[in-house]
Amino acid sequence: MKKKLFALFLIVALMLCMVPAAFAADDEITLDVIICQYGPNTNDWFLGTGMDGSNFVDKFEAANPGIKLNLDVVSWNDVYTEVDTRVANDNAPDILNIDVFANYATEGLLMPVKDYCPDDLFEDFFPNFIEQSNIDGTIWAVPDLASMRALWYNADILEEVGVEPPTTWSELEDACQAILDYYDGEIYPWGIDMTTDEGQAAFAYYTFNNGGGFIDENGDWAVNSEENAEAIDFALGLVEDGFTNPNPATQTRYDLQDMLAAGKLAMMIGPNNMPTYVSDKGGEINLGYVSIPCADGKTASGVGVMDRVMAFKDDSAPDQEARNAAIAAFLKFFYDPENYVGWVSMEGFLPAVNSSVAALIESDASFEGWLNMLDTFHTYPSSKAEWDQCKQGVIAAEQNALTGADIQAELDALQAELVG
Amino acid sequence: MNTGLNRTRWEPYVWLLPSLLLISIFVVFPILIVFKLSFSEISKAGVIGGFVGFDNYVEAVHLPAFKTVMLNTLWWVLSVVLLSTLLGFIIAMVLNQKFRGRKIARSILVFPWATSLVIQASVWNYIIKYEYGNLNNVLLNLGIIQQAINWRSSYQIEFVWECWVGIFVTVPFVTFCVLSGLQSIDDSLYEAAIVDGAGFWDKLRHVTLPMVRPSLTVSTVLNIIYVFNSFPIVYTMTKGAPAHKTDTMITYLYMLSFYERKKGPATALSVIGFLILCLCAGIYMVSVMRKEEQL
Repeated sequence: MKKKLFALFLIVALMLCMVPAAFAADDEITLDVIICQYGPNTNDWFLGTGMDGSNFVDKFEAANPGIKLNLDVVSWNDVYTEVDTRVANDNAPDILNIDVFANYATEGLLMPVKDYCPDDLFEDFFPNFIEQSNIDGTIWAVPDLASMRALWYNADILEEVGVEPPTTWSELEDACQAILDYYDGEIYPWGIDMTTDEGQAAFAYYTFNNGGGFIDENGDWAVNSEENAEAIDFALGLVEDGFTNPNPATQTRYDLQDMLAAGKLAMMIGPNNMPTYVSDKGGEINLGYVSIPCADGKTASGVGVMDRVMAFKDDSAPDQEARNAAIAAFLKFFYDPENYVGWVSMEGFLPAVNSSVAALIESDASFEGWLNMLDTFHTYPSSKAEWDQCKQGVIAAEQNALTGADIQAELDALQAELVG
Repeated sequence: MNTGLNRTRWEPYVWLLPSLLLISIFVVFPILIVFKLSFSEISKAGVIGGFVGFDNYVEAVHLPAFKTVMLNTLWWVLSVVLLSTLLGFIIAMVLNQKFRGRKIARSILVFPWATSLVIQASVWNYIIKYEYGNLNNVLLNLGIIQQAINWRSSYQIEFVWECWVGIFVTVPFVTFCVLSGLQSIDDSLYEAAIVDGAGFWDKLRHVTLPMVRPSLTVSTVLNIIYVFNSFPIVYTMTKGAPAHKTDTMITYLYMLSFYERKKGPATALSVIGFLILCLCAGIYMVSVMRKEEQL
């Protein structure tokens, strides 16, 4: 009898626990949000005390009564696994911050941006950024930040050797040879990352600056162009000549940045937040940067990387309008210059909205030079549904070529796969 | 009396029920789901579609890296299981002797086993690093080498390092399995063998090996399963680079699913891996049981 009473008590207690949730459900919306971890401060800013002693979630909820955020900061290593698992279990997040979007859009999982983004905010985004998320005239995601890539060099090493920062491939080869000779192999002249982390970036650095790229002027796949094969051949030649780090297939950009900070590497292509990274690592080197070198006689092309924020459909939401309004409130709060400037400058990234430019330059004048480079911003064709396949394909092609395969044959096979 | 008999009949099943329930929920059910998924269309984003027959299997075996990965997996399992069994057996024989500091030696042996595989692989990454690696530093300081050696100069060598780390972390497990078997051997058996004029090798062959065979069976079968399914070492050390040439089946199907987003072939591969594992473990168990019956 006592056991039955106890069981009854447990059931009643459980039901009582659910009562507040049931009441809350009527007038409260909870948004599931996944944010990628950009650096050591991301988690603290969104969930800890990194936002003037408070955090984004607390401030947002205080400013938007009736909207709760269930926000997770997920590392870049895990985010694809987490999102795909949630999608497979019909539990996609409401808002997702990630780099790719085309698969989700073409499979009908995303909402068009016009369904939730306020017009004034939409007009605030840099047009060339917003266009990166355009598939057949529909915008499926908004940019959250960007980073520009440039050639970073240890100014002391270049001065000691007596070479200028290279702007063309032949200058680059000469500078590498001079550094190699001067330091007798103690310092790597040039850093290359052809790992699964950023092998696609290496492809962009060399092919964009040889008149090639992932797609042609019509937007069709063109990974096997003559210019591309020539460009990757040039990069592989740098490895073969002993100008680079010894294991480009397993040494990531972060390994290279560590070497640059430690004075072990003379030059590498890296993001605009390099000074922040080097000083965080305790590196005491004189850093300088110039545009990424291009092939002789070709035009230099800036390479940038951009991430996005997108909203998933949720047909089970009881009030779609209220949900869209909550997503809009999230975006407005996030891109409010009062919050957004702190977010972008915290990890040293570049903004995606005009309204924060002035405040950013005021906080750090070095942003201006980078912002001017955004005009030459070229990035990956991530609005194409085959982008994932292409990305992994060019990395595999590079890595196979590193072990002796013919790069043209590798790229031909990839092209056939992409268009087939 | 009758009630007592009935109770004796069903009582073991009641006690087994929680375990069976847990195994069903967390092992059997996911396996069945993976089998079902391997015959389904799965989109790049993870949306599960309809039945596609053996399409995923056909695509999986025709992938360019499939053959390399299967060969790597074979070498990985054979080298790690065989060499760790051999080394573990020798170390267990040594640790079974009476000598000063035996307890300390046994405790030290537990360390590699007790540390997480990711940490072990990361530590070995640092040890063999060309630029600041401990191995190069030690050899340079001792004057054994005059300039740093690139210990990872080719993917074949990187794969050998992965196997070595696999062996290093597996040896303690084998050692303790064999040691438990060795400690259960009655000294009188060895005394009788000595009276019969047996030397070291005779004792090893006719007393030690037959007596530790059950322990070796357990450790080998478990090792085949653990090593085949081992993910952290390969993923931490190379992520399968370059171009899956150092991948094993488990890391490859992960990369296939979450990097290349070919989820259908990835689930098909995981089913193939499961069946291979069942087959290997089954053959080994049956052969060992037959030998035991013959004895």
